[in-house]
Amino acid sequence: MEQRTKDEAPTNSSFDPDTPGAELFDSLRLELRRGCLVLAVLAQLHQEHYGYTLRKSLSETGLEIEESTLYPLLRRLETQGLLTSQWREEEKRNKRFYRLSAHGHRILDLLLAEWNRINDSLNKIVQKER
Amino acid sequence: MELLKRYLQAVAEHLPARGRQDTLAELKANLESEIEGREEELGRNLTEAEVAAVLEAHGMPVLVASRYGSQHFLIGPSLFPVYWYTLKRSFPLVVLAYTVVQMVDIFFNSGSGAELGHRIGTAIGHFPAVALTFWGIMTLGFAVFEYGQGSFFPRMTLPKWSVRDLPPLERTEKKKHSFASGIADLIVSILMVVWLLAVPNHPYLILGPGMKVLHDTPFALTPEWHVIYWQFLGLLIAMLPLKAAMLLPSLRHARGWLQLAVKALGFLILVIMVQVRTFFVSGSSISAQNLHSLQGINNGITLGFKLALAISAVNFLWELWQEISAGQHRRAHYAAVL
Repeated sequence: MEQRTKDEAPTNSSFDPDTPGAELFDSLRLELRRGCLVLAVLAQLHQEHYGYTLRKSLSETGLEIEESTLYPLLRRLETQGLLTSQWREEEKRNKRFYRLSAHGHRILDLLLAEWNRINDSLNKIVQKER
Repeated sequence: MELLKRYLQAVAEHLPARGRQDTLAELKANLESEIEGREEELGRNLTEAEVAAVLEAHGMPVLVASRYGSQHFLIGPSLFPVYWYTLKRSFPLVVLAYTVVQMVDIFFNSGSGAELGHRIGTAIGHFPAVALTFWGIMTLGFAVFEYGQGSFFPRMTLPKWSVRDLPPLERTEKKKHSFASGIADLIVSILMVVWLLAVPNHPYLILGPGMKVLHDTPFALTPEWHVIYWQFLGLLIAMLPLKAAMLLPSLRHARGWLQLAVKALGFLILVIMVQVRTFFVSGSSISAQNLHSLQGINNGITLGFKLALAISAVNFLWELWQEISAGQHRRAHYAAVL
Protein backbone atom coordinates (compact mmCIF):
# COMPACT_ATOMS: atom_id res chain seq x y z
CA MET A 1 0.00 0.00 0.00
CA GLU A 2 1.24 3.49 -0.80
CA GLN A 3 2.85 5.25 2.13
CA ARG A 4 0.86 8.23 3.31
CA THR A 5 2.94 11.40 3.07
CA LYS A 6 2.77 14.38 5.41
CA ASP A 7 1.25 16.37 2.57
CA GLU A 8 -1.57 13.91 2.56
CA ALA A 9 -1.56 13.42 6.32
CA PRO A 10 -4.93 13.83 8.02
CA THR A 11 -5.51 17.23 9.57
CA ASN A 12 -8.29 18.45 11.83
CA SER A 13 -10.39 19.01 8.74
CA SER A 14 -9.95 15.51 7.31
CA PHE A 15 -12.08 12.54 8.20
CA ASP A 16 -11.79 8.82 8.71
CA PRO A 17 -10.20 7.17 5.65
CA ASP A 18 -12.92 4.52 5.74
CA THR A 19 -15.67 7.12 5.46
CA PRO A 20 -17.23 7.24 1.97
CA GLY A 21 -15.73 10.15 0.03
CA ALA A 22 -12.52 10.22 2.09
CA GLU A 23 -10.39 9.51 -0.96
CA LEU A 24 -12.07 12.25 -2.96
CA PHE A 25 -11.67 14.67 -0.07
CA ASP A 26 -7.95 13.84 0.19
CA SER A 27 -7.44 14.37 -3.52
CA LEU A 28 -9.30 17.74 -3.50
CA ARG A 29 -7.46 18.83 -0.37
CA LEU A 30 -4.13 18.00 -1.99
CA GLU A 31 -5.09 20.05 -5.02
CA LEU A 32 -6.12 22.97 -2.82
CA ARG A 33 -2.89 22.83 -0.81
CA ARG A 34 -0.57 22.61 -3.83
CA GLY A 35 -0.88 26.25 -4.87
CA CYS A 36 -1.05 27.47 -1.27
CA LEU A 37 2.25 25.76 -0.43
CA VAL A 38 4.05 27.62 -3.22
CA LEU A 39 2.64 30.88 -1.87
CA ALA A 40 3.68 30.01 1.69
CA VAL A 41 7.20 29.03 0.63
CA LEU A 42 7.66 32.22 -1.37
CA ALA A 43 6.32 34.35 1.47
CA GLN A 44 8.54 32.63 4.02
CA LEU A 45 11.60 33.21 1.87
CA HIS A 46 11.50 36.96 2.34
CA GLN A 47 13.97 35.80 4.95
CA GLU A 48 16.87 33.53 3.97
CA HIS A 49 16.48 29.84 4.82
CA TYR A 50 17.93 26.51 3.91
CA GLY A 51 15.67 23.52 3.35
CA TYR A 52 15.47 22.17 6.89
CA THR A 53 14.96 25.51 8.66
CA LEU A 54 12.38 26.55 6.09
CA ARG A 55 10.42 23.39 6.74
CA LYS A 56 10.64 23.95 10.48
CA SER A 57 9.53 27.56 10.23
CA LEU A 58 6.56 26.60 8.05
CA SER A 59 5.70 23.82 10.49
CA GLU A 60 5.79 26.26 13.42
CA THR A 61 3.15 28.37 11.67
CA GLY A 62 0.99 25.24 11.33
CA LEU A 63 1.81 24.40 7.71
CA GLU A 64 3.27 20.91 7.56
CA ILE A 65 5.10 20.09 4.35
CA GLU A 66 6.92 16.92 3.50
CA GLU A 67 10.69 17.18 2.96
CA SER A 68 10.57 15.31 -0.31
CA THR A 69 7.99 17.81 -1.56
CA LEU A 70 9.67 20.93 -0.25
CA TYR A 71 13.25 20.37 -1.40
CA PRO A 72 12.44 19.68 -5.07
CA LEU A 73 9.95 22.59 -4.95
CA LEU A 74 12.76 24.93 -3.92
CA ARG A 75 14.80 23.73 -6.89
CA ARG A 76 11.87 24.28 -9.24
CA LEU A 77 11.17 27.78 -7.95
CA GLU A 78 14.84 28.61 -8.36
CA THR A 79 14.81 27.31 -11.95
CA GLN A 80 11.79 29.52 -12.59
CA GLY A 81 13.80 32.51 -11.36
CA LEU A 82 11.66 33.16 -8.28
CA LEU A 83 14.42 32.25 -5.80
CA THR A 84 18.16 32.69 -5.63
CA SER A 85 20.41 30.29 -3.76
CA GLN A 86 23.85 30.33 -2.29
CA TRP A 87 26.03 27.61 -0.75
CA ARG A 88 27.46 28.75 2.57
CA GLU A 89 29.06 27.12 5.56
CA GLU A 90 27.06 27.23 8.75
CA GLU A 91 27.78 25.22 11.89
CA LYS A 92 30.69 23.52 10.13
CA ARG A 93 28.45 22.27 7.33
CA ASN A 94 27.83 23.49 3.80
CA LYS A 95 24.19 24.40 3.28
CA ARG A 96 22.25 25.86 0.41
CA PHE A 97 20.41 29.00 1.43
CA TYR A 98 17.45 30.29 -0.54
CA ARG A 99 15.76 33.67 -0.65
CA LEU A 100 13.32 35.49 -2.88
CA SER A 101 14.73 37.03 -6.03
CA ALA A 102 13.59 40.45 -7.28
CA HIS A 103 11.37 38.66 -9.81
CA GLY A 104 10.09 36.42 -7.00
CA HIS A 105 9.10 39.52 -5.00
CA ARG A 106 7.01 40.86 -7.85
CA ILE A 107 5.35 37.50 -8.48
CA LEU A 108 4.68 37.02 -4.78
CA ASP A 109 2.96 40.43 -4.55
CA LEU A 110 0.74 39.52 -7.49
CA LEU A 111 -0.03 36.09 -6.08
CA LEU A 112 -0.85 37.54 -2.65
CA ALA A 113 -3.21 40.06 -4.23
CA GLU A 114 -4.89 37.20 -6.11
CA TRP A 115 -5.01 35.09 -2.95
CA ASN A 116 -6.70 37.95 -1.04
CA ARG A 117 -9.26 38.41 -3.80
CA ILE A 118 -10.09 34.71 -3.78
CA ASN A 119 -10.21 34.66 0.01
CA ASP A 120 -12.55 37.68 0.16
CA SER A 121 -14.84 36.18 -2.46
CA LEU A 122 -14.92 32.84 -0.69
CA ASN A 123 -15.70 34.52 2.62
CA LYS A 124 -18.59 36.40 1.01
CA ILE A 125 -19.92 33.22 -0.57
CA VAL A 126 -19.61 31.21 2.64
CA GLN A 127 -21.24 33.98 4.71
CA LYS A 128 -24.10 34.17 2.23
CA GLU A 129 -24.55 30.41 2.52
CA ARG A 130 -24.83 30.72 6.30
CA MET B 1 25.54 7.63 9.47
CA GLU B 2 26.01 4.59 7.26
CA LEU B 3 22.27 4.39 6.73
CA LEU B 4 22.23 7.99 5.49
CA LYS B 5 25.05 7.25 3.04
CA ARG B 6 23.23 4.16 1.78
CA TYR B 7 20.04 6.17 1.42
CA LEU B 8 21.80 8.94 -0.54
CA GLN B 9 23.48 6.33 -2.73
CA ALA B 10 20.09 4.82 -3.54
CA VAL B 11 18.63 8.26 -4.35
CA ALA B 12 21.67 9.09 -6.51
CA GLU B 13 21.02 6.03 -8.64
CA HIS B 14 17.75 7.54 -9.86
CA LEU B 15 18.75 11.20 -10.08
CA PRO B 16 19.44 12.80 -13.46
CA ALA B 17 23.20 12.99 -14.10
CA ARG B 18 23.02 16.74 -14.56
CA GLY B 19 23.18 18.39 -11.13
CA ARG B 20 23.29 15.06 -9.30
CA GLN B 21 26.16 15.95 -6.94
CA ASP B 22 24.63 19.32 -6.15
CA THR B 23 21.24 17.78 -5.34
CA LEU B 24 22.86 15.09 -3.19
CA ALA B 25 24.93 17.60 -1.24
CA GLU B 26 21.83 19.65 -0.49
CA LEU B 27 19.80 16.59 0.43
CA LYS B 28 22.59 15.36 2.71
CA ALA B 29 22.81 18.72 4.51
CA ASN B 30 19.03 18.82 5.01
CA LEU B 31 18.80 15.24 6.25
CA GLU B 32 21.73 15.70 8.63
CA SER B 33 20.02 18.80 10.01
CA GLU B 34 16.81 16.80 10.34
CA ILE B 35 18.58 14.09 12.32
CA GLU B 36 20.39 16.64 14.48
CA GLY B 37 17.13 18.42 15.12
CA ARG B 38 15.60 15.20 16.41
CA GLU B 39 18.67 14.57 18.55
CA GLU B 40 18.38 18.05 20.07
CA GLU B 41 14.72 17.40 20.87
CA LEU B 42 15.54 14.07 22.58
CA GLY B 43 18.81 15.24 24.17
CA ARG B 44 20.69 12.16 22.95
CA ASN B 45 21.98 10.49 19.79
CA LEU B 46 19.40 8.73 17.64
CA THR B 47 19.47 4.95 17.51
CA GLU B 48 19.84 3.23 14.17
CA ALA B 49 16.13 2.44 14.15
CA GLU B 50 15.28 6.11 14.75
CA VAL B 51 17.60 7.25 11.93
CA ALA B 52 15.96 4.65 9.70
CA ALA B 53 12.54 6.05 10.65
CA VAL B 54 13.63 9.60 9.68
CA LEU B 55 14.89 8.39 6.29
CA GLU B 56 11.86 6.20 5.66
CA ALA B 57 9.61 9.17 6.43
CA HIS B 58 11.54 11.15 3.83
CA GLY B 59 10.39 8.72 1.18
CA MET B 60 11.38 5.84 -1.05
CA PRO B 61 14.61 6.73 -2.92
CA VAL B 62 13.15 6.26 -6.41
CA LEU B 63 10.18 8.52 -5.59
CA VAL B 64 12.35 11.15 -3.94
CA ALA B 65 14.67 11.21 -6.96
CA SER B 66 11.74 11.37 -9.38
CA ARG B 67 10.59 14.65 -7.83
CA TYR B 68 13.85 16.28 -8.90
CA GLY B 69 13.21 15.33 -12.53
CA SER B 70 12.19 18.13 -14.87
CA GLN B 71 9.34 16.26 -16.54
CA HIS B 72 7.15 13.53 -15.07
CA PHE B 73 4.92 12.82 -18.02
CA LEU B 74 5.24 11.71 -21.60
CA ILE B 75 2.47 13.95 -22.90
CA GLY B 76 1.46 16.93 -20.79
CA PRO B 77 -2.09 18.10 -20.01
CA SER B 78 -2.02 20.85 -22.66
CA LEU B 79 -0.98 18.49 -25.46
CA PHE B 80 -2.95 15.43 -24.30
CA PRO B 81 -6.37 16.48 -25.72
CA VAL B 82 -4.72 17.04 -29.14
CA TYR B 83 -2.98 13.65 -28.87
CA TRP B 84 -6.21 11.90 -27.93
CA TYR B 85 -8.20 13.62 -30.67
CA THR B 86 -5.56 12.75 -33.29
CA LEU B 87 -5.50 9.15 -32.11
CA LYS B 88 -9.29 8.85 -32.24
CA ARG B 89 -9.54 10.50 -35.66
CA SER B 90 -6.68 8.68 -37.32
CA PHE B 91 -7.29 5.17 -36.01
CA PRO B 92 -10.30 4.51 -38.31
CA LEU B 93 -8.12 5.71 -41.22
CA VAL B 94 -5.49 3.14 -40.23
CA VAL B 95 -8.21 0.47 -40.23
CA LEU B 96 -9.33 1.70 -43.65
CA ALA B 97 -5.83 1.74 -45.18
CA TYR B 98 -4.94 -1.66 -43.70
CA THR B 99 -8.20 -3.25 -44.87
CA VAL B 100 -7.93 -1.90 -48.40
CA VAL B 101 -4.26 -2.88 -48.84
CA GLN B 102 -4.84 -6.35 -47.41
CA MET B 103 -8.02 -6.98 -49.38
CA VAL B 104 -6.50 -5.88 -52.68
CA ASP B 105 -3.59 -8.22 -52.02
CA ILE B 106 -5.88 -11.06 -50.94
CA PHE B 107 -8.36 -10.82 -53.82
CA PHE B 108 -5.75 -10.53 -56.55
CA ASN B 109 -3.21 -12.99 -55.22
CA SER B 110 -5.37 -15.81 -53.85
CA GLY B 111 -5.42 -18.83 -56.10
CA SER B 112 -8.24 -20.75 -54.43
CA GLY B 113 -11.03 -20.39 -51.91
CA ALA B 114 -8.99 -22.12 -49.20
CA GLU B 115 -6.05 -19.79 -49.77
CA LEU B 116 -8.41 -16.83 -49.64
CA GLY B 117 -9.71 -17.91 -46.21
CA HIS B 118 -6.20 -18.49 -44.93
CA ARG B 119 -5.01 -15.07 -46.12
CA ILE B 120 -8.01 -13.29 -44.56
CA GLY B 121 -7.30 -15.05 -41.23
CA THR B 122 -3.63 -14.03 -41.38
CA ALA B 123 -4.53 -10.42 -42.18
CA ILE B 124 -6.92 -10.25 -39.21
CA GLY B 125 -4.30 -11.87 -36.95
CA HIS B 126 -1.68 -9.26 -37.92
CA PHE B 127 -3.93 -6.30 -37.26
CA PRO B 128 -3.32 -6.00 -33.45
CA ALA B 129 0.43 -5.65 -34.13
CA VAL B 130 -0.28 -2.95 -36.74
CA ALA B 131 -2.62 -1.09 -34.33
CA LEU B 132 -0.05 -1.33 -31.53
CA THR B 133 2.72 -0.04 -33.80
CA PHE B 134 0.52 2.86 -34.89
CA TRP B 135 -0.27 3.72 -31.25
CA GLY B 136 3.42 3.46 -30.29
CA ILE B 137 4.58 5.71 -33.13
CA MET B 138 1.89 8.31 -32.42
CA THR B 139 2.68 8.32 -28.70
CA LEU B 140 6.41 8.54 -29.33
CA GLY B 141 5.89 11.39 -31.81
CA PHE B 142 3.79 13.38 -29.35
CA ALA B 143 6.20 12.61 -26.48
CA VAL B 144 9.13 13.91 -28.57
CA PHE B 145 7.11 17.02 -29.42
CA GLU B 146 6.20 17.52 -25.74
CA TYR B 147 9.83 17.16 -24.71
CA GLY B 148 11.19 19.44 -27.41
CA GLN B 149 8.50 22.12 -27.55
CA GLY B 150 9.81 25.49 -26.57
CA SER B 151 13.40 24.44 -27.21
CA PHE B 152 13.57 22.38 -30.42
CA PHE B 153 10.08 23.13 -31.75
CA PRO B 154 7.91 26.23 -31.36
CA ARG B 155 5.44 25.93 -28.48
CA MET B 156 2.06 24.65 -29.57
CA THR B 157 -0.59 27.34 -29.89
CA LEU B 158 -4.23 26.64 -30.50
CA PRO B 159 -5.61 27.99 -33.78
CA LYS B 160 -7.88 31.03 -33.66
CA TRP B 161 -11.50 30.07 -33.81
CA SER B 162 -14.87 31.71 -33.69
CA VAL B 163 -18.12 30.33 -32.40
CA ARG B 164 -19.69 31.51 -35.66
CA ASP B 165 -17.52 29.03 -37.61
CA LEU B 166 -18.99 26.07 -35.70
CA PRO B 167 -21.31 23.79 -37.70
CA PRO B 168 -25.02 24.56 -37.56
CA LEU B 169 -27.26 22.80 -35.07
CA GLU B 170 -28.05 19.26 -36.12
CA ARG B 171 -31.70 18.40 -36.08
CA THR B 172 -32.19 16.06 -33.19
CA GLU B 173 -34.60 13.78 -34.98
CA LYS B 174 -32.02 13.18 -37.71
CA LYS B 175 -29.63 10.34 -36.96
CA LYS B 176 -26.20 11.76 -36.11
CA HIS B 177 -23.45 10.90 -38.56
CA SER B 178 -20.73 8.85 -36.92
CA PHE B 179 -17.16 9.00 -38.17
CA ALA B 180 -16.63 5.29 -37.44
CA SER B 181 -19.75 4.27 -39.37
CA GLY B 182 -18.61 6.50 -42.27
CA ILE B 183 -15.25 4.73 -42.32
CA ALA B 184 -16.97 1.32 -42.14
CA ASP B 185 -19.22 2.31 -45.05
CA LEU B 186 -16.21 3.40 -47.10
CA ILE B 187 -14.36 0.16 -46.30
CA VAL B 188 -17.36 -1.93 -47.39
CA SER B 189 -17.71 0.11 -50.61
CA ILE B 190 -14.01 -0.30 -51.44
CA LEU B 191 -14.26 -4.03 -50.71
CA MET B 192 -17.25 -4.24 -53.01
CA VAL B 193 -15.29 -2.57 -55.86
CA VAL B 194 -12.22 -4.77 -55.24
CA TRP B 195 -14.44 -7.83 -55.14
CA LEU B 196 -16.12 -6.89 -58.43
CA LEU B 197 -12.75 -6.24 -60.08
CA ALA B 198 -11.49 -9.64 -58.93
CA VAL B 199 -14.61 -11.59 -59.99
CA PRO B 200 -13.82 -11.92 -63.76
CA ASN B 201 -10.54 -13.71 -62.99
CA HIS B 202 -11.77 -15.52 -59.89
CA PRO B 203 -15.37 -16.64 -60.58
CA TYR B 204 -15.48 -18.64 -57.35
CA LEU B 205 -15.73 -15.28 -55.53
CA ILE B 206 -19.39 -15.03 -56.64
CA LEU B 207 -20.79 -18.12 -55.00
CA GLY B 208 -17.72 -20.01 -53.79
CA PRO B 209 -18.25 -23.76 -54.13
CA GLY B 210 -21.86 -23.00 -55.27
CA MET B 211 -20.42 -21.88 -58.62
CA LYS B 212 -20.17 -25.53 -59.64
CA VAL B 213 -23.94 -25.91 -59.15
CA LEU B 214 -24.52 -22.91 -61.43
CA HIS B 215 -22.42 -24.55 -64.13
CA ASP B 216 -24.69 -27.60 -64.03
CA THR B 217 -27.88 -25.56 -64.58
CA PRO B 218 -29.32 -25.11 -68.09
CA PHE B 219 -29.09 -21.30 -67.66
CA ALA B 220 -26.25 -18.90 -68.43
CA LEU B 221 -25.65 -15.20 -67.83
CA THR B 222 -26.79 -12.92 -70.63
CA PRO B 223 -23.95 -11.28 -72.66
CA GLU B 224 -25.46 -7.95 -71.56
CA TRP B 225 -23.65 -8.51 -68.26
CA HIS B 226 -20.40 -7.50 -69.97
CA VAL B 227 -21.87 -3.99 -70.44
CA ILE B 228 -23.78 -3.84 -67.15
CA TYR B 229 -20.71 -4.93 -65.24
CA TRP B 230 -18.71 -1.86 -66.30
CA GLN B 231 -21.61 0.54 -65.79
CA PHE B 232 -22.24 -0.94 -62.38
CA LEU B 233 -18.54 -0.79 -61.48
CA GLY B 234 -18.21 2.80 -62.76
CA LEU B 235 -21.09 3.98 -60.57
CA LEU B 236 -19.69 2.18 -57.52
CA ILE B 237 -16.26 3.75 -58.09
CA ALA B 238 -17.89 7.19 -58.48
CA MET B 239 -19.42 6.72 -55.00
CA LEU B 240 -15.99 6.31 -53.34
CA PRO B 241 -14.76 9.94 -53.50
CA LEU B 242 -18.20 11.13 -52.34
CA LYS B 243 -18.11 8.78 -49.34
CA ALA B 244 -14.53 9.83 -48.56
CA ALA B 245 -15.53 13.51 -48.77
CA MET B 246 -18.30 12.86 -46.22
CA LEU B 247 -15.61 12.02 -43.67
CA LEU B 248 -13.91 15.40 -43.98
CA PRO B 249 -14.81 17.74 -41.10
CA SER B 250 -14.44 20.74 -43.45
CA LEU B 251 -17.28 19.37 -45.59
CA ARG B 252 -19.58 18.66 -42.66
CA HIS B 253 -22.04 21.34 -43.81
CA ALA B 254 -22.36 19.61 -47.22
CA ARG B 255 -22.70 16.09 -45.78
CA GLY B 256 -26.44 15.94 -46.49
CA TRP B 257 -25.93 16.82 -50.15
CA LEU B 258 -23.05 14.36 -50.52
CA GLN B 259 -25.27 11.66 -49.03
CA LEU B 260 -27.94 12.55 -51.59
CA ALA B 261 -25.38 12.35 -54.41
CA VAL B 262 -24.41 8.83 -53.26
CA LYS B 263 -28.09 7.88 -53.17
CA ALA B 264 -28.55 9.27 -56.69
CA LEU B 265 -25.75 7.03 -57.95
CA GLY B 266 -27.38 4.07 -56.17
CA PHE B 267 -30.63 5.06 -57.87
CA LEU B 268 -28.85 5.00 -61.27
CA ILE B 269 -27.64 1.45 -60.58
CA LEU B 270 -31.28 0.40 -60.11
CA VAL B 271 -32.28 2.23 -63.31
CA ILE B 272 -29.65 0.23 -65.24
CA MET B 273 -30.84 -3.03 -63.69
CA VAL B 274 -34.47 -2.32 -64.58
CA GLN B 275 -33.53 -1.71 -68.21
CA VAL B 276 -31.74 -5.07 -68.50
CA ARG B 277 -34.94 -7.21 -68.37
CA THR B 278 -33.06 -10.42 -69.32
CA PHE B 279 -30.57 -11.53 -66.74
CA PHE B 280 -30.24 -15.21 -67.68
CA VAL B 281 -30.47 -16.93 -71.03
CA SER B 282 -30.89 -20.59 -71.84
CA GLY B 283 -27.91 -22.92 -72.21
CA SER B 284 -27.24 -25.18 -75.19
CA SER B 285 -29.99 -27.67 -74.38
CA ILE B 286 -33.04 -26.67 -72.40
CA SER B 287 -36.44 -28.24 -71.89
CA ALA B 288 -39.70 -26.37 -72.45
CA GLN B 289 -40.39 -26.48 -68.72
CA ASN B 290 -36.99 -24.92 -67.91
CA LEU B 291 -37.53 -22.29 -70.59
CA HIS B 292 -40.77 -21.34 -68.86
CA SER B 293 -38.96 -21.21 -65.52
CA LEU B 294 -36.24 -19.02 -67.06
CA GLN B 295 -38.83 -16.50 -68.20
CA GLY B 296 -40.32 -16.52 -64.71
CA ILE B 297 -36.91 -15.93 -63.14
CA ASN B 298 -36.13 -12.99 -65.45
CA ASN B 299 -39.57 -11.46 -64.88
CA GLY B 300 -39.24 -11.96 -61.13
CA ILE B 301 -35.84 -10.27 -61.00
CA THR B 302 -37.05 -7.37 -63.15
CA LEU B 303 -40.12 -6.93 -60.95
CA GLY B 304 -37.89 -6.96 -57.86
CA PHE B 305 -35.66 -4.23 -59.31
CA LYS B 306 -38.72 -2.20 -60.36
CA LEU B 307 -40.06 -2.32 -56.80
CA ALA B 308 -36.64 -1.39 -55.41
CA LEU B 309 -36.45 1.50 -57.90
CA ALA B 310 -39.88 2.80 -56.88
CA ILE B 311 -39.02 2.64 -53.15
CA SER B 312 -35.64 4.22 -53.79
CA ALA B 313 -37.24 7.06 -55.81
CA VAL B 314 -39.71 7.86 -53.02
CA ASN B 315 -36.95 7.68 -50.41
CA PHE B 316 -34.68 9.93 -52.52
CA LEU B 317 -37.38 12.55 -53.02
CA TRP B 318 -38.25 12.51 -49.32
CA GLU B 319 -34.61 13.02 -48.31
CA LEU B 320 -34.16 15.72 -50.95
CA TRP B 321 -37.14 17.59 -49.54
CA GLN B 322 -35.81 17.18 -46.00
CA GLU B 323 -32.40 18.55 -47.00
CA ILE B 324 -33.94 21.55 -48.75
CA SER B 325 -36.18 22.35 -45.79
CA ALA B 326 -33.27 21.85 -43.35
CA GLY B 327 -31.21 24.33 -45.39
CA GLN B 328 -34.04 26.88 -45.25
CA HIS B 329 -34.40 26.29 -41.49
CA ARG B 330 -30.64 26.84 -40.96
CA ARG B 331 -30.66 30.06 -43.00
CA ALA B 332 -33.68 31.36 -41.09
CA HIS B 333 -32.05 30.48 -37.75
CA TYR B 334 -28.79 32.17 -38.73
CA ALA B 335 -30.66 35.31 -39.81
CA ALA B 336 -32.49 35.34 -36.45
CA VAL B 337 -29.20 35.04 -34.55
CA LEU B 338 -27.68 37.90 -36.53
